[in-house]
Amino acid sequence: MQSHLLWLGIAGHIIGFDTVLMQAWRIREPVMWLCEKITGNRKLLGMNLIGGVRRDIPAEIHDELLQVLARVEKETKQVINAIADDTTLRARCVDVGVLTPQQVIAYALLGPTARASGVGIDIRVDHPYAAYQELGCEVMVENGSDIWSRVLVRMRETLEAIRIIRDALRFMPSSPIIADIREPIPPGKVGLSSVEAPRGETHHFVITGEDSRPYRWKARAPTFQNLQGIPVMVAGEYIADVPIGLGSMDPCFSCTERLETVDVRTGQVRVYSKKELVELYRRRYEGK
Amino acid sequence: MIVSKLKEAKICFSNLRVTLPYPFGPGAEVGEGFRGKLKVDAEKCVGCGGCANVCPSRLIRFYDDGEQTRMEFILDRCTYCGRCAEVCPENAITMTQTFETATNDKTDLYIEQELYMLTCKRCGRCFETNNAIDRIPTQRMRRGRNFVGASMPHGAPEGGEPGK
Repeated sequence: MQSHLLWLGIAGHIIGFDTVLMQAWRIREPVMWLCEKITGNRKLLGMNLIGGVRRDIPAEIHDELLQVLARVEKETKQVINAIADDTTLRARCVDVGVLTPQQVIAYALLGPTARASGVGIDIRVDHPYAAYQELGCEVMVENGSDIWSRVLVRMRETLEAIRIIRDALRFMPSSPIIADIREPIPPGKVGLSSVEAPRGETHHFVITGEDSRPYRWKARAPTFQNLQGIPVMVAGEYIADVPIGLGSMDPCFSCTERLETVDVRTGQVRVYSKKELVELYRRRYEGK
Repeated sequence: MIVSKLKEAKICFSNLRVTLPYPFGPGAEVGEGFRGKLKVDAEKCVGCGGCANVCPSRLIRFYDDGEQTRMEFILDRCTYCGRCAEVCPENAITMTQTFETATNDKTDLYIEQELYMLTCKRCGRCFETNNAIDRIPTQRMRRGRNFVGASMPHGAPEGGEPGK
C-alpha cells in the first residue's frame, strides 16, 4: 500500500508532475507513522524471526489503524478521481512504454508490470501463502499494456490492500505470535519461499549451515526480472519517455544490484572467491 | 482537463503545508517505541555474548584476550533491528531515540569496551566478569555457598556472599 503510493509520487516526479509527488507522499505519511508505532521503525521493520513475528499489533492502536485506513482510502480515491482525466498526464502515459502480453511472457515479467499487460499473475492467488487462502485477493488486471495501465493497476491494488488489511484485522485469531523453538536448526536443510512483494514475486532460497546459521542465502528480487523487459519496452520510444518507462516498473536498484569486475584493458571478467572478498573487506574497513 | 486541474487544486488547498522546518525548528520527534542508535552500559554488561550471537549484520564482536574481554560495536552497519537489546539478560543494551547518526567521523559510530575477567582463586583461570560477580548477592542467590556453587566452577568468591 505505502509502496504503491510512494511509486505514484515518484512516477509523477519523473514526468514533472510534482503535485502528485507531494500529495501521494502526504497521504502515505500516516502509514509510515503507524509502522513506527507498531514496529519501532518506518522502514527495516525487523519483524520476522524464525518461527513467527516479534511484536503484536497493540490493542490501543486498532482504532487509529482503522482511522488511518479510512483516510488513506478516501484520499487515494480523491487523487485517482482527480488525475483520471488529466490530459497532460495521459499524454505522457497512454500508449507509452508498451509491453505486449507476448513480450511479458517471453521476458517473464512480474507484478503490476505483467498485470497491466493483461497477464494476471499474482502469487497470492496462484500459490497462496500465509492467510491469503482465507482472506482472498482480487488480481487487478488491465489490458492497456502501457504506463497508464500500470498506474491504474497500482491504484486499484492500493485500495485492495486496504480491504485486505481491514479483513485481516477483523479475522485475526488471538494466538501466540511466535513459536517456541529451542532445538538448534539442523544443517543442510533447504528452504524456498515465494512472496508477492509490491513489485512482483520475490524468492528467497536458503541452505542451513552449522550453528543455526545459513550456509547460503539467495534472494531474487522482482526488479531483477523486470529490468529484462526494459530494452524491448523503450525500443523506438523517445528519449524523454525512457525515464518514465524505466520508472513505471518501480525499479529498486538496491534490491537488484549485481557486480561484475571487468579489467578495462583486457576485457577479462574476474570472479572473487569468498576468501578474497573477506580480505578485501578487512583491508577496506578494518585497516588490516 | 480544467475539471481535473480544479480537482487537483482542491486537494492541494484542502491540505496546506504539512512539512516541518526541520532541522531549523522543533517538531522532529519520534514515537515512543522508536529504535535509534544503540547504547551500551558497560557497568551492566556481563560479557555473555548473546548480542553478538543474534546480531544479523554481525557488528558486535568479542575478543577474548587473557584477563580482558574486548567488545566492539561497529554501528555503521546497524540495521536498528533491536535484537541485541531484546536478548540482553542484563538490559545493558538499550535502543535510544537518537536518529541523527550522520557523521563525517567514523569513530562516532564505534563503541569499544573492555571487561575485566576475574580469576578463580583456586585454579587461576579467568571465568567471569566483575559485573557478574558484583551482582551475585543481589540477584542470583539467597544464602550460603551451595547456591552460588551451582553456577560457578569453584564456588563463590569470598566477597560475593551476603552477610559478610
